[in-house]
Amino acid sequence: MSGLLPPLKPIPIKDRLSVVFIEHGEIDVLDGAFVVVDVKGIRTHIPVGGVACVMLEPGTRVSHRAAALAARVGTLLVWVGEAGVRLYSAGQPGGARSDRLLYQARLALDEVLRLKVVRKMYALRFGEEPPARRSVDQLRGIEGARVRRTYQLLAQRFGVNWKGRDYDTQEWDASDVANRCLSAATACLYGVTEAAVLAAGYAPAIGFIHTGKPLSFVYDIADVYKFETVVPVAFKVAASQPQGNVERAVRLGCRDVFRETRLLDRIIPDIEEILSAGEIPRPTAPDGAVGPAIPNPESLGDAGHRA
Amino acid sequence: MLVIVLENAPPRLRGRLAVWLLEVRAGVYVGQYSRRVREHIWSQVVEGIEGGNAVIAWSAKNEAGFEFKTLGKNRRMPVDFDGVQLVSFLPLPPADAL
Repeated sequence: MSGLLPPLKPIPIKDRLSVVFIEHGEIDVLDGAFVVVDVKGIRTHIPVGGVACVMLEPGTRVSHRAAALAARVGTLLVWVGEAGVRLYSAGQPGGARSDRLLYQARLALDEVLRLKVVRKMYALRFGEEPPARRSVDQLRGIEGARVRRTYQLLAQRFGVNWKGRDYDTQEWDASDVANRCLSAATACLYGVTEAAVLAAGYAPAIGFIHTGKPLSFVYDIADVYKFETVVPVAFKVAASQPQGNVERAVRLGCRDVFRETRLLDRIIPDIEEILSAGEIPRPTAPDGAVGPAIPNPESLGDAGHRA
Repeated sequence: MLVIVLENAPPRLRGRLAVWLLEVRAGVYVGQYSRRVREHIWSQVVEGIEGGNAVIAWSAKNEAGFEFKTLGKNRRMPVDFDGVQLVSFLPLPPADAL
């Protein structure tokens, strides 16, 4: 049939822009493209398939067709509130790969395997092996102290007045500038990390160091990069005594640091490397299980993307 | 990589760009030059565009991998989304304004 285009497919996370924030407007699909229309009728195309995650701020409305398009191209939509802090997300629901989920769950359930994974996370994060023969709890204590020291050192280096990480989710403006910058910067990192965890086919809720939150695994993975990427950006912005829109300055800085550190290239291979520290194979399908009746279409995207 | 697109440009400017760039379609020029040469070519466009309009895009070391800027009036205008350059498409002006 003429006039029909081939079906849409997700492209890999590493080939995408990190995040796009949409502040206000009606988001819809026009001629197959993801478009923001503002009150004056000005239309702005968002290259939705080329972005890892789209952050929707409180002034936006999204149509059914726009959400469906985002899902088809494997782009995470994140509804955010004040300071860009996440409220709700959709687009790529994750959970598409049972082998990855079972693998992650087995690693998290077995204390020996979990310790191996946690050690690998700390090793990647600090660039050296953590002390031997420690439990996860002991490691958390040791590394927690190290984290507080790293905040101190970075604050000193950028000349920021630092009284510790402290924020009130009910009242953002009550926090000091450094903490507000940090909240905005970590929100960017969490959005990208959540998109990557889902695209890799893993469950955001099954954490190894963090637990009990819908995004525990996202916090685990984001922590690997936090001090290398978003904390210096936040402190740099805070030290510059910003006037007006702090969040904007932080987002610009985050975008640069994500590119410089090649975060989107590294994040999925690093997730695989961290989990492979458990040294167990991914489970294979049990004998006699029924495979798909219709073979899955070939995909350009990452393992967890629904083609 | 460098791309220039001209609309309603005088023929002398179109000929001038064809001195350095390849015109792959009417008004669409492609080439690969250093920053200095790119700015030199763009200065010719600025001088010679008259009532027309132009856009230039080139490879850059940012997250998108390219940058662009425009010259003259067009319904498509660049906008900045916290560091991502996108394009807004303006509605037609009301009939009585024409």
